[in-house]
Amino acid sequence: MSLTRSEEWYLNMGPHHPSTHGVLRFVVKSDGEVIDEVKPDIGFLHRGIEKIAERLEYNQIIPYYDRVDYLAAFNASWSYVMAVEKLLGIEVPPRAEYIRVILGELNRIISHLISVGSFALDMGAVTPFTWAIREREVVNDIFEMVTGSRLTYNFPRIGGVYQDVPEGFREKVLQFCEYFPPKLKEFNDLITYQKIFIHRLANVAVITPEQAIAFGLTGPNLRGSGIKYDLRKNRPYSVYSEFEFDIPVGTGEAGTLGDAYDRYMVRIREMEESCKIIKQAIEKMPDGPVRAKVPRKLKPPVGDVYAATEAPRGELGVHLISDGSSRPYRMKIRTGSFAAMSIVNEVSHGLMIADLVALIGSLDVIAPEIDR
Amino acid sequence: MLQLFNWLIKTFPSLASHQELTAFVLFIILGLLVLTFAAVVAGSLTYFERKVAARIQSRMGPIEIGLGGYIQWVADAIKLLLKEDIIPENVDKILFRLAPYFAFLGAGLTYLVLPFSEKLILADLNVGVLYFLAVSSITVIGILMAGWASYNKWSLIGGIRSAAQIVSYEIPSALAVLPVVLYAGSLSTQDVVRAQAGWAGFHWMIFQNPFIFISFFVFFISMLAENNRIPFDLPEAESELVAGYNTEYSGMRFAMFFLAEYSNVFILSAFAVTLFLGGWQPLFGLSLKIPGTAVDLWKLFSFFFKTSIMVFLVLTIRWTLPRVRIDQLMGLCWKYLVPIAFFDLFGVMFWMVL
Amino acid sequence: MAGRYKEGVENIPIEQIADALFPEVILTTVDDFLNWGRSWSVWYLLFATACCGIELMQFGGPRTDADRIGSVFRATPRQADLMIVAGTITYKMASRVKLLYEQMAEPKYVISMGACANCGGPFWYSYSVLRGIDKVIPVDFYIAGCPPRPEALLQGVIEVQKKIKKEKYLRAKKSEAGG
Ligand code: SF4
Repeated sequence: MSLTRSEEWYLNMGPHHPSTHGVLRFVVKSDGEVIDEVKPDIGFLHRGIEKIAERLEYNQIIPYYDRVDYLAAFNASWSYVMAVEKLLGIEVPPRAEYIRVILGELNRIISHLISVGSFALDMGAVTPFTWAIREREVVNDIFEMVTGSRLTYNFPRIGGVYQDVPEGFREKVLQFCEYFPPKLKEFNDLITYQKIFIHRLANVAVITPEQAIAFGLTGPNLRGSGIKYDLRKNRPYSVYSEFEFDIPVGTGEAGTLGDAYDRYMVRIREMEESCKIIKQAIEKMPDGPVRAKVPRKLKPPVGDVYAATEAPRGELGVHLISDGSSRPYRMKIRTGSFAAMSIVNEVSHGLMIADLVALIGSLDVIAPEIDR
Repeated sequence: MLQLFNWLIKTFPSLASHQELTAFVLFIILGLLVLTFAAVVAGSLTYFERKVAARIQSRMGPIEIGLGGYIQWVADAIKLLLKEDIIPENVDKILFRLAPYFAFLGAGLTYLVLPFSEKLILADLNVGVLYFLAVSSITVIGILMAGWASYNKWSLIGGIRSAAQIVSYEIPSALAVLPVVLYAGSLSTQDVVRAQAGWAGFHWMIFQNPFIFISFFVFFISMLAENNRIPFDLPEAESELVAGYNTEYSGMRFAMFFLAEYSNVFILSAFAVTLFLGGWQPLFGLSLKIPGTAVDLWKLFSFFFKTSIMVFLVLTIRWTLPRVRIDQLMGLCWKYLVPIAFFDLFGVMFWMVL
Repeated sequence: MAGRYKEGVENIPIEQIADALFPEVILTTVDDFLNWGRSWSVWYLLFATACCGIELMQFGGPRTDADRIGSVFRATPRQADLMIVAGTITYKMASRVKLLYEQMAEPKYVISMGACANCGGPFWYSYSVLRGIDKVIPVDFYIAGCPPRPEALLQGVIEVQKKIKKEKYLRAKKSEAGG
């Protein structure tokens, strides 16, 4: 071995590796600690949801969507019911829309909490993660109260939601809105503005705006690169046009625009914005039914439809093709994590192994969204 | 130890004819004592750590097992002892077996020169500080061996990282100790402590002059790095390297690494206390009016009290900070700590001359 | 006491004599003691594949707090006693599950957490999902739910503890050595 060149080797990261968030595998070609190439190997959690859906009635598919993105189960199933509603031309009662918005934003908060928490865990800090989980439990309680479940809610229905919110919901949510911002500040003091943390993330794994668009990134990953694109504003669905909120974008405050810290920061800021939305929504929530009149047997007309929501991990779109029967002919799910996975190889050249962990953590991918 | 030996010979004249044997038995007994002490300290530390971690994370920590959870470490030890000792197929068998002992050796040997109290020290070597610096880096051999022998790339990276890290941080830690030695005028740990006598801690090394004050932090940071504590725990970075150099170890051998790690935490704190914070010098200068044994006990208590506070500090750091990257780690060492340590050394020299 | 040792009795192994003389005192106590140690230190392998993995994380979090009963997570299978399979196992993953199980050191236990790991759960219909991990590795306890609550998982770990306490560790070792 000469002094100037060293041998390259292949490292096998995953599928069981603490930092891969579920089951992903990366084949890393590296020179010592410096990465040359990363090949993601996906499919360890391919559960065939799209195929299963073809043999189920439209109603029966909803629970499967909770499992597409288990961290933001509500947002995922929301996408689906929106698609079917579009296909059938169903008008959703306003109260149901408001409930959806509140639950959807709550879901965004807890999803981001896990995301930033496990990101901190990847960076070696354990405590932020447990704190995030502690905050998450408070929201879990609200969800349990409304939907009866802690993780996979199965709550939206075609034409509304399953049932009206129980008594005390309003107070509980308002209480949470009071409780959460100080806790978030505490969290920020602990980790976000931590010197070591910033040094670890600044200028690492930079995704330029052009790259982000070229690879089809959406959600916080895209906004981290400084592009103000949010379905809630740009293509407002549900009742989002009635609320006032900002779309946080990356500004390169610690280093370069589009680095890991920017993406992290976008998530932190989004939680604050979500809190604002929830407060407004709970004030404005009208009375009325929570479910439109929908026939028991759904037989949508022949045609296809695409509907998407701004899920915590980016645009979660559903493409449904109906052949006029009571089951979808084909269903395609478009997820943010899949797009995010494709960019890993592009930006990881020249990073160190520790940075690769930061990159994956900052993209906030989860396995079932990639593999479906 | 020599005193103990002489005393034995004097009280039991019959032993005088078997001096070698007596010495040998004495060594073994003392060695076992040290080992037991190390194990108990390390065990208690794991409990302490889990409790501190739990409280920081708003959890309870081990409470169900009994005695408020304190005997948790006994259970852990039993469990680890009874586990199957796996030696994977492709490993370098000899090195794989030896590595944990080397790792522990580095920790265990340092107990020798640790002055617990005025009279309680195993061997008051006249090169105690030097000995400590030398012996404590044996651990790195164990870690490197473990990383190499495991036939696992993650372990190897962990081992290499550890070697690079420990070897680099030896320099600032040694340089940071030198001002203290200069000030005390002796390399013996006991003499260093004696030089810090005085009322209520104003004569502790750390307060004696501003350069040593800085040295203390250099020493503390480099000791953290040498012992692979967060924020410098790269060799076993859980989220990057699975478990680093000990990935392939199970059962008792893993327990040895565990033991070494926690002994090191204790030793790191104990030496920081000895060299900079007055060692066993009694807190509040209470030594004057009470009888001898009580004074000794008070000294022992002072030592352990101060050490516990240091340990607590180390653990708190462990559970709040994220970890640095390898290049930042090296940068910190060579760009900041080494120059600062040199600056301190010269500063102290000038201070003493003037 | 010496009077009891008649001719021929010396040939009986000492353990049997001990068993006969002090059936409850000697061996059982040691066994109990060892089991006590083992049962209070069940370290689990962090093996989360899907949705149930989130509940597994909450299990270690502040509300359920696995650390209370002495359970902490380990990232490497070599140091874990308990494998909690949390989530869907696909065919592609199945061989790795087996590998992980084999990498664990004896004595080892397995909890199958959630409908997916028990039997395939909602993905029973799928072409790519393993219908129950007991097809590839032995399972000690099954926990129902989709996902099970962390409390249920805690109950599962306590059941594992109970199981350990009932085991005869020394005797098992002895018969192994004898056979
Ligand atoms: S049992 Fe339910 S919650 Fe658990 S992994 Fe399977 S689908 Fe997800």
